[in-house]
Amino acid sequence: MNNMMFGKYIPIDSFIHRLDPRLKIGSLLLLLIAVFFDAGFLGYALLGIFVIIMALLSHIKVSQILKAIKPMLFMMAFLMIFNLLFIQQGNLLVSIGFIKIYDQAVLQTLYIFIRLILIIVMTTILTATTKPLDLTLGIEHLLSPFKRIGFPTHEVAMMISIALRFIPTLLEETQRIMKAQASRGVEFSEGSLKEKILSIVSLIIPLFISAFQRAEDLANAMESRNYNPEAKRTRYKQLIWKISDTISFACVIMICSVLVIMSFVL
Amino acid sequence: MSITFKEVEHTYSVDTPFAYHALKGVNLDIKKGSMTALIGHTGSGKSTLIQHINALLLPTSGQVQIEDVLITATDKPSSLKSLRKKAGLVFQFPEYQLFEETILKDIIFGPKNFGVSEEEAIKIAKDMIQLVGLDESYLERSPFDLSGGQKRRIAIAGILAMNPDILILDEPTAGLDPQGAKEMLQLFKKVNQEGKTVVLVSHDMNQVLEYCDDVVVMNHGRVEKHVTVAELFKETEYLTSLSIDLPIITSFILELNKNGFHIDPSIKDINVLVQEIGGQLNE
Repeated sequence: MNNMMFGKYIPIDSFIHRLDPRLKIGSLLLLLIAVFFDAGFLGYALLGIFVIIMALLSHIKVSQILKAIKPMLFMMAFLMIFNLLFIQQGNLLVSIGFIKIYDQAVLQTLYIFIRLILIIVMTTILTATTKPLDLTLGIEHLLSPFKRIGFPTHEVAMMISIALRFIPTLLEETQRIMKAQASRGVEFSEGSLKEKILSIVSLIIPLFISAFQRAEDLANAMESRNYNPEAKRTRYKQLIWKISDTISFACVIMICSVLVIMSFVL
Repeated sequence: MSITFKEVEHTYSVDTPFAYHALKGVNLDIKKGSMTALIGHTGSGKSTLIQHINALLLPTSGQVQIEDVLITATDKPSSLKSLRKKAGLVFQFPEYQLFEETILKDIIFGPKNFGVSEEEAIKIAKDMIQLVGLDESYLERSPFDLSGGQKRRIAIAGILAMNPDILILDEPTAGLDPQGAKEMLQLFKKVNQEGKTVVLVSHDMNQVLEYCDDVVVMNHGRVEKHVTVAELFKETEYLTSLSIDLPIITSFILELNKNGFHIDPSIKDINVLVQEIGGQLNE
């Protein structure tokens, strides 16, 4: 559980770390949309190279990116098997009994695989290079235009930042309870299905109880300090848009436009 | 020897920016049947150390021997279960580990995991609940209706019910009222006198003096001292350098001695001290 990489900030210094969080969130959104344009393998190669360059600039180790992909492998395998079996277009490649695999299915599955990997790596780069608080600040800024139509920007940002803040705490708590139950003879990785379910119950119930307890404590602590979501706030941390941000954003827009154009031309 | 550490190193999150070297070449022999206190500041490696005793953590290098079970970085014992049964670990604030609908079910959870039959486990639970100072009427209640102190007792009963040879306690009295803390410690002493090895992490030197035989002092991931309680409290300068307070009774004796008394500073019992003072006043 300690090896959970997905969504963890890595405290080092790099070009990507120093970029404006608004830029990073905006770019991720654009790139996520671009991933779903069907620009063929050439397009994905281009995007892939771009993502590799970003990863290199962020100084994140390959092993750390692989760790982020690992927990998703099961879901990816599941998705891919379904796709392989249920897309029935194009030429029949293999046919064993009721299993029929078509060439279109292979192609589509490959696309899905590439898309998922790209999405995970890009998201990991964002979360690994941006402090959770900066991330929320960025989101709040990006959402601020919607304030005019009555969207509770600050509340949403506060909710996100509380949720992000408590992910490591809950992971720690999970580990603590797992250890406590392991000391009572629970083996989380072994045993029959019934034993496994019981061992998960012995983890989840204490975890829920402490999470609710924490939520209540936090609410009380905020209330006793007179927290008011509508209050006007100033910020210690100011976001400053730098020239490197403009250049980076231009690069992202270029890549996205090329992909969109490619998807229509090809 | 009951618990032996040889050159044990432990580093958390090896090869990441979060790497933390928590244990540095720890050598330790804890005698079978002793009651040993483990003291040191927050972050000195106490919790890391005790988690090696039931192999929740494996050493990064070096070896840990718990009676006949050997644990090293590469080969962990094929079945950790027997080790977990042998060494019962009570975490700090163990009330978090309660999860069953009734207290009975929660206490028998541990023994049943180690293969004790249900009837046998219920019998043990009835004994244990009395041992921790509650009565049998509690067994059918929900553990979540209890006060914090009572929950703590139930959680400890759950570990004692496993009948471990070694009992490891991480600050078992944190947050308890003085009377509750005293009862808990008397319980652990009783368990110790029945032949179990007890390792007690504590910040309260009065507890260490009153209940423990030996003390292990940890500092910055190293074991700095492993001496008897009496020897430790002789080294007042060393303790001051670690900003550890002397037990109230010891510092009182030292004050008296400064003012002309000649009292043995290793006296633990207030009644003995009173007699000693009386005797010296009459001279």
